[in-house]
Amino acid sequence: MSMPDVPLLSLLRERMTWLHQRQDVLSQNVANADTPGYVARDLKAQDFSDILSGETTRGNALRATDPRHIAISTSGHTQFEEETTPGQANPNGNAVSLEQEMIKVSETQAQFQAAANLYAKALTMMKTAIGH
Amino acid sequence: MDFSTSMAVVASGMKAQSARMKTIAENIANANSTATTPGGDPYRRKIATVASSFDRELGANLVTAGKSIADKSEFRTQYDPGNPNADAKGYVKLPNVDSLVEIMDMREAQRSYEADLTAMDATKSMLARTVDLLNK
Repeated sequence: MSMPDVPLLSLLRERMTWLHQRQDVLSQNVANADTPGYVARDLKAQDFSDILSGETTRGNALRATDPRHIAISTSGHTQFEEETTPGQANPNGNAVSLEQEMIKVSETQAQFQAAANLYAKALTMMKTAIGH
Repeated sequence: MDFSTSMAVVASGMKAQSARMKTIAENIANANSTATTPGGDPYRRKIATVASSFDRELGANLVTAGKSIADKSEFRTQYDPGNPNADAKGYVKLPNVDSLVEIMDMREAQRSYEADLTAMDATKSMLARTVDLLNK
């Protein structure tokens, strides 16, 4: 059993990937805060029921519907869906609210820290289990 | 895990803002630069622009400083017959720079730069936290 197969760890890994991708999108919003015509974007929130059923883990991976299909590993290439978050636009067409983006950035940072802490805890538990 | 994309995007934003700052500084420094010949045009105010461009390699929208545009508004005039640059009627043309507007623009660029810095700090702390997992 390899590490990614542990459900708890793979869930947390997924969560961290989502948060990391969100950070990418938010960085673009902040950087383009003065670009005319730029509309802010965000990642679609993760759906808890999807996470439970393991739907998002598969993501855009190809499904093997026949046992003869070759399994293609797409781990690390999961792309989460993006959506625009329209707000009040400036006269130059820019619709980025720096305040809102800053709140989202710190939110993402805190959530990432929480996920990373949980990951570390899970590892510690496993070490305890093997008597290390 | 790769945080370099968000770092690169934020860095491009900071670069664009400092280019904008350069144009504003030029305007402020030349707020009183008159023409070199009598009756000629003095320094003309420049307007800094920023543009967004999609980077295929990163898959993200980077920010670039666009070309600065000349401000077409009227020059200020001052009655100063003793000035060597005065025209036949004794008026001297002064640049169309309003220092109040420039200061406001500068504040805006400064705020955007700070926001970029904060986003970079957040990314850095996330990266550090990930690396920290190795110590567990």
